[in-house]
Amino acid sequence: MNIRTLIVSATIGSLCLSTPAFAQVDAEEVFKENDCHKCHHPTQAKKGPALAKIAAKYKEKKLDEKEAIKHMTAGQKVKLDDGTQEDHKIIDTKDVKVQTAVAKWMLNR
Amino acid sequence: MRQRAAFIGISVLIATGCSTLATGPQAIDWSKIPATKVALFYPGQSSYQWLRSEAHAGAAKETARGDSCVSCHDDAKEEQRQGAKILRGNHPLEPHVGALKGKNGHIDMTVQAAYDDKNAYLRFQYKTNNKNHPGNDYPGYQFDGKEWKTYGGMRLNKNVLAGKTGVVYENRLNIMLDDGKVPGFAQQGCWLTCHDGERDMQKEPSKAEVEANALMKAIKKSDVRKYLPATRTNPMDWKTGKSVEEIAQLKASGQFLELMQWRAHRSDKVGGADDGYVLEYRNFDKGANHFASNMDSKTKQPKFMFDPAKFGGKAFAASDYGSKKELILIKGVNAVPFDPNAGWKPGDILPQYVLSAEDAKESAADNKAISSWKDGVQTVVFIRPLGLANADDKALKPGGVYHVGFAIHDDNMTGRGHHVSYTKTLGIGAKADIQAVKLN
Repeated sequence: MNIRTLIVSATIGSLCLSTPAFAQVDAEEVFKENDCHKCHHPTQAKKGPALAKIAAKYKEKKLDEKEAIKHMTAGQKVKLDDGTQEDHKIIDTKDVKVQTAVAKWMLNR
Repeated sequence: MRQRAAFIGISVLIATGCSTLATGPQAIDWSKIPATKVALFYPGQSSYQWLRSEAHAGAAKETARGDSCVSCHDDAKEEQRQGAKILRGNHPLEPHVGALKGKNGHIDMTVQAAYDDKNAYLRFQYKTNNKNHPGNDYPGYQFDGKEWKTYGGMRLNKNVLAGKTGVVYENRLNIMLDDGKVPGFAQQGCWLTCHDGERDMQKEPSKAEVEANALMKAIKKSDVRKYLPATRTNPMDWKTGKSVEEIAQLKASGQFLELMQWRAHRSDKVGGADDGYVLEYRNFDKGANHFASNMDSKTKQPKFMFDPAKFGGKAFAASDYGSKKELILIKGVNAVPFDPNAGWKPGDILPQYVLSAEDAKESAADNKAISSWKDGVQTVVFIRPLGLANADDKALKPGGVYHVGFAIHDDNMTGRGHHVSYTKTLGIGAKADIQAVKLN
């Protein structure tokens, strides 16, 4: 078992342990209520990248849910496949607990 | 009631042909026909124009490009979610949410299909929002002591919203169908036909404005109803109608949508369903419908009244709406010629339409339907002849696959106040979302 595997295992473990804290938030429902699923499919590219691709990218770059929350709350420009840019939609909640639950749910796809 | 049921049964049998008795709608064992679940949702004012605006967050460009609705709206609970959002309040697509308390955001429907050598049979089943009434009432003409004036309207009617008249409208079930000739229908379905300017939509023009428009003047219409984008030089603007000749060319090339409508008040009791089409307007097919106006345009009085011996009175009152009494006027069953000297009292109401299976003629009379409503569950079976060759019909043929969109007008609604489905496919013995099974 190398260091990287240990880190990944620890991360997964901590996420599992932290689940009860967010149990009252239905992250998937919040994600869909905010129409995020219209651009982000679990596994296939739509207007935006698949959740699996986002999760892999975050893992690769060692980014966490804080970065994902920034992405879903800042309204940053995002580049689309056709080369155009659009403002990313801002999630309709300021509750950090809910935002964190959604971010963790996304990054676990 | 027994007399009426026998009349309906005989009408449908005559209409569908006695030779189909062995395989006709009465003989179909629907428990053996596969059922497809279709969800419909309340769309509010989501017009062709709105979908192409920035208000359709992040999807204006994709919609204008012709992408399908379900390329984004692909979640299993999409219809439930969208309908609930629009009716939740403060949603830009429903400015009259206050008048829609208790309105359901979506309807789950099952669809089954079968066919024999003569007809296709399409069976629909769903729960009505009102569990206590079949929704077969319709606005009437009410006597005010001098004149007969319209009473009642659907929930979003201006006079209803202003509290000037009662909430009354019939339930309906509609099928819009294309055989692949209308560009975009496969992707965007009924939303191709729903536009700003139509009744109760955004930017609804005045009657005078409509009547001054060149196309509307040419087709003698005073309001804007469903139309296809190809009938306008600028599809974003109802006012830019093409010439009647250009529209006739579109029709000749099959660029129109079939529209079949079952009506709880105006067609059900005579075993009928409308046969219409959408092109530059929501048109009826050539001929005569199962229902006709009950107003004499010259005398400004009704043409028919109820036979007191059959109905229990010559008219009814506003308080009868919503009761168990069927307020439906049918030639040969309970209608007699209007007698202006019958001692009319203020408040007397007569139906706006009189029904007749015999009077329905030509292409407009092609479709038949049978239905039942029990314990809040509506069942409707459309009977559509195969291979129709009329200029205003889409011919259903064995082996054919068609794109269909469904709408339910429920709980005193018409116009935009319906529930609608995303596009599905219907195959007559061919692979599709809804596959019609050949009857032995």
